[in-house]
Amino acid sequence: MRKFIPRNLTIILSGLILFLLSCTPESCFEETESFLKATLYLNETGILRAPDSLTVYGLNMETNKLYDKTKKIQIALLPLNASTTNCLYIIRINGITDTLVLNYSSYPHLVSKECGYTFYHKLISDSITYTTNAIDSIYIRKNTITTFNEENIRIFY
Amino acid sequence: MRRTYAYFISPLLILFSSLVQVHAQDTIPIPLKIKVGLEVSGPAIYFSDKNILNAEGYISADINEKVSAVLGAGYLNYKYSQYNYEYLNKGMFVRTGVDFNLLKPDKSLGKYWAGIGLRYGLSLFTSEVPSFQKENYWGTTSSSIAKKTNWGHFVEVSPGVRVEVFKNFSMGWTISLRMLLYTGTGKDLRPIYFPGFGNGGKTVSKSLNYFIVWNIPYKKINIIIKKEVPEVTEDTGTTGNRQQATGIRP
Repeated sequence: MRKFIPRNLTIILSGLILFLLSCTPESCFEETESFLKATLYLNETGILRAPDSLTVYGLNMETNKLYDKTKKIQIALLPLNASTTNCLYIIRINGITDTLVLNYSSYPHLVSKECGYTFYHKLISDSITYTTNAIDSIYIRKNTITTFNEENIRIFY
Repeated sequence: MRRTYAYFISPLLILFSSLVQVHAQDTIPIPLKIKVGLEVSGPAIYFSDKNILNAEGYISADINEKVSAVLGAGYLNYKYSQYNYEYLNKGMFVRTGVDFNLLKPDKSLGKYWAGIGLRYGLSLFTSEVPSFQKENYWGTTSSSIAKKTNWGHFVEVSPGVRVEVFKNFSMGWTISLRMLLYTGTGKDLRPIYFPGFGNGGKTVSKSLNYFIVWNIPYKKINIIIKKEVPEVTEDTGTTGNRQQATGIRP
């Protein structure tokens, strides 16, 4: 029995070492922001094409623009307000201004223990309203707005 | 001609070895036990972190020298908070399955166990998110998720070891790898942590548990041990060198 004691201790302590090694803290690496992804298509050709300049900001948020005369934007990322059921964006494509109103519902989604919760949104079908100065038409491609890289609406200008 | 003899003699040697081996069998008594195990790392962690109380134990009964039937149960009270949310989960779980001892009876002697367990687990828990905040372009949105009771279930593979440290008392550890089958909460509000499983934000969770086990012998069985046969030498005669044939084990 005596000769087994060191082996017993080794077996028991090896578990303790494994236990200590398993106690490593983890960090948040996942995407936590759910954006409405709007792709920009040139209406004449029907081809995905970035406008010469794009300016986007929310209503009463002129001092905090998402895009400010930005070039080479083919996919615009628009965050939605989870505290309300609609958002109004000012969109200026090649210097011509339009407004875009989005109606949606929001619900919480767990990203991970490390990152916590975010909001997903669901666009209400046929509820997108917009002016047609530069914009020709808008189509909903996928009405669930998540953290995944999926096209939600297609803007023809 | 010599090779022909060798082919003829070899089967006879095998047959003879087998007959010898029958006579070489021996028996050893192995106690079958009822085991009552208590997990000790959960209370130890609670001593340093009052946000996690995990208490669990099991009872198992040896069916034979290799297989045991296991029933375990436990309780979890879990609180977690970080800069953007708080989370509470409280509930209980049961696990049932079998343990397989991979040691040979002459090595385990009813005192040592190194093997693998297979389990099915069922968990009943109440979870709540008292508050969470999400900040984006439009500002900070604060919300909460009301208390809700759910069932979750999972399967588990748990390799581990046990050694008898005193008469009828064992200690050991188990690495548990669990796969989530269903949480009952939907894919958006998976439980961050729930009883018996652990991190419910992931499909696979792992943990390490330490157990103290009280063994209650209830029956002794005799296990036939096949001893190694003494070495038999055979001169093949092909090279003129003497070669050793090892004992043949069925």
